[in-house]
Formats: sequence, structure tokens, C-alpha cells
Amino acid sequence: MDLEELKTLIEQCELDGNKICIKNSLYDIVNILKNKYSYNLLKSITAVDLGDETELIYNLYSTIDEEDVILSVKVKNEAESIIDLFDSAKADENEIYDMFGISFIGNDDLKRLYMPENWTGFPLRKDYVQDDTRLAWNDDTDNA
Amino acid sequence: MTQTTLKLNLGPQHPSTHGVLRLILELEGEKILSCEPDIGYLHRGMEKMAEGMTYIQYLPTVDRIDYLAGCFYSELFCRTVEKALGITLPERVRIIRVILLELNRIASHLLWIGAFLMDLGAVSPFFYAMREREMILRYFEKLTGQRMMYNYFVFGGIRKDIDFLEDIDEILRILPSKIQDYERIITDNPIFLQRTKAKGILEPEIALNNSVTGVNLRASGINYDLRITDKLYEGFEFSPVVLEGKDAWSRYKARILELSTSMNIIKQGLDRLNENKTFEQKLINPLTLKLPEGEFYSEIEAPRGLASVYIKSTGTETPYRLKWRTGSYYSVNLLRKLLVGEYLNDAIAIAGSLDIILPEVDK
Repeated sequence: MDLEELKTLIEQCELDGNKICIKNSLYDIVNILKNKYSYNLLKSITAVDLGDETELIYNLYSTIDEEDVILSVKVKNEAESIIDLFDSAKADENEIYDMFGISFIGNDDLKRLYMPENWTGFPLRKDYVQDDTRLAWNDDTDNA
Repeated sequence: MTQTTLKLNLGPQHPSTHGVLRLILELEGEKILSCEPDIGYLHRGMEKMAEGMTYIQYLPTVDRIDYLAGCFYSELFCRTVEKALGITLPERVRIIRVILLELNRIASHLLWIGAFLMDLGAVSPFFYAMREREMILRYFEKLTGQRMMYNYFVFGGIRKDIDFLEDIDEILRILPSKIQDYERIITDNPIFLQRTKAKGILEPEIALNNSVTGVNLRASGINYDLRITDKLYEGFEFSPVVLEGKDAWSRYKARILELSTSMNIIKQGLDRLNENKTFEQKLINPLTLKLPEGEFYSEIEAPRGLASVYIKSTGTETPYRLKWRTGSYYSVNLLRKLLVGEYLNDAIAIAGSLDIILPEVDK
């Protein structure tokens, strides 16, 4: 399936290079891709902090057609979960929650993964270091 | 009588967890009701670290993502930077990279074979496997000065031309008979068969649904080997090892067979080195290196499954965002499914058969 065909399938989307930027429901599109077009492997979910919003990039692959498809969706603080479709999404979404603080609607099992349970802040966000008062250079009280 | 369950911590200091992995098992008698992996003991913040480093500063650290197969991550990172800059590798450099990658894969698989058998209580195969692995590590030490973190690949080439080819010839001469020895000691050993045959059955649908790749997926009957379509391996002839067994034994057997595939590729590489004698590189000045604005993604077949890197650049000296995808991360998460309903004494055999390495999981 080529990208143009996929574009007609998905309403309201833009092509950015080989990336399909989605405006409406991600879950529905992944559902169609998995169950109708045999995209059966979710390679990874990547999150990128763009400042006021976060981009989530989904790399899907079909072992039958041997084709890749890349989906992209921009979210604020909440995103749609796809754990009903791919079990591995649990791991990816948990990692993104831990590092970016994005919560996924439909995934109730989000918890701290790499960071300690009582940690505040999300390390891979761009504003992380500036905000964190536990770091010595952000602590004003000692200098006063 | 009320039913009680027992919570058991397996690790993080358990000798057979291949690093520091903690599994929280819920047991009823000896049966596992649930498994919860606890990871993060080795977290070094590789992704955040990249955002504050230039590309050449970051290059030596990428070997540490998987210290048993460092070449693969070096190659992956160099490849992505080369892709962004539009560099195609000269033929000789490409062949040298393939040879070193496959040597590294053999070393990695050998260590796994030893460690896996050690998990099951067989001590001798560990020494045999380490003895053969030592030959490869000695070779790497001679060539690169390092036994594990080679830092040998650079953007557009390699540190220096390959040398000591007679050592590789020696490895290729000795290894086949040693693999035969392993097969004689291990493969049909009744104790080994009892502990691995039909244990930890991984159905292909479940494997795909959990994003398990690499040898574990191929041992479940799905022919997905990235080396086939990889441009680096262009011109090399080999067929991926695909087995239908789905169990821990098949995953062991697939890795034994992959040793031969890798040796076959190295042999072809050595022949082709003779045809491509001119050593030229396409090195760039790493101090002024800036990646053009955009997103760059590449992937490679690492010993523990599909590995990929995503780099977003805004045109500065440092990456804006860098993300690693590693095979072991998904294998660890598969344990939640794979261990349920099994007995505790099989847990180590099943977890061991997936070839998990923790620095890759924790990043």
C-alpha cells in the first residue's frame, strides 16, 4: 500500500516526508492498519517535546507485505492509548509517561519506570533542568 | 482454608539475571500467577545525555548501550549521521564493518550460550563458550585496543584499516569444530531437553503483538531478518535461520545455527577484501559537524533484535531529540505474559532463553 492510498483512507491528514500526520482519532487508524492491512508489528513509539506540544511517532511494520508506515500525532498532555491493539504499547506508553509525563487515556497501568517512584518532573522534557529545584544550580535558598 | 499467594523477588542480585533485573513473581505453590519486571537499575539517561553533547562526543558512549555487542550501536549511530549528511561508504569500509559486526555477533551469541547453560546448572559449557569468545575479544583488542567498547566506527569510515586477518582465519578454522562440540554436549542432552523442550512456548502472534524481534521471533517461525534488506549487507549471500519450534530449545538452536551464518558472512567478507584492496574513507571534520534540520531514522539487526535510532536535528551541533529502540526492552516486557502459568523452576530457563541484557533495557 502506498502512502497516497493510505492518505485517502485517512481523512484530514497531511504527508510530511514519509510521515503521516494525523488530525483525528489515532486509535481508529491503527485499528484499520492492523486488522485490515496486516500491519502487525509496532516497532516503537517515539515522543518528541516540541515546546507547547508533544509529537508522538508510531513506527508500524507489516511482516506480510514487508512495508513500514510512520504515523505522527501531536498531543498536549493526554493521548489515546492503543494497548488494546498492541501489548507492546504498554511498555512504550509507560516509558513516555515516565520521561514526558503524557498520560494515555485507556491505559491505567502507568507508573514510574526508570525514575524513582517519588520523583517529580519528567527528564526528557525540554523545561526539565530549568524547573527542577533539587538540582543545586536551581536552588536559590542556599545562595540567599 | 483460605488460598494464599507468595510474592517472591527474583533479583536484582540473582546470579542468572544477566545484569540487574528484578522480577516480582506472585506464586501459588510453585506456579507463577503473575510477573512484574522492575527495571531501571542501570539507567544512565543515554537519551537525555545526547541532547547536551555534540555528535562526536556522544559516539563513544553508544557502545555502552549494549556492552556485549557495541559494534552494532556504533554502526547504527554512524549510519544515521552518514544518512543525514548523504555519505555513502566506500566498498572496503563497508565490508570491514560487516566483518566486525558479524564477529561481534558471534561473541555475543557465544556469551549467551555459556550464560544460558550456566542458568540451567551446567557449568562446563560456560567455560568452553568463554574460551572461544576470548579468541574474538583478543582479536578486537589487537585491532581496536578495546575488548568490549570498541569505538572503532567513525562517521564516514573506521578508525584505521583492518589488520591481523590471519587471526580471523584462525577463528574461522577453530570455531566450527567447537560448535560441533557444543552440539554434542548440549543439543541432545536429555537434561537440557527436559528443561527447554516445550518450555516457554512463544506463539508468533503473541511475539509480534509484543514487538519481540530478532532470533526470538525467528525461532517462532516468522522470517524477519533485517540483514536481508540492509544496504550494508548488499552482495552477501546467506539465508536467515527460521525455526518452527517456538520453545526455549528452538531459541537456543537458532542461535547455534546463527553462528554458522555469521561465519559464512565473514568468509565472504574476507574474500571480498582481497578484491577491494584500496582503503579510502569519507571522513568529515567532527568538530564542525552539524546535522541538517530534519528527522533521521535507521535500524539494524542487532543480536538481541531490532535496534533503531531516531534523531531529530534542528541544525545545531547537538541532537534535539535522540531515541533508541532496543530489542531487550520488549523481551523483558514479554515476561509478564510468558511466565504466567509456568513453574518457578522453569522461570530462569524461559527468561534466560530470551537473551535479555539489561543495559539495553535501561538505556
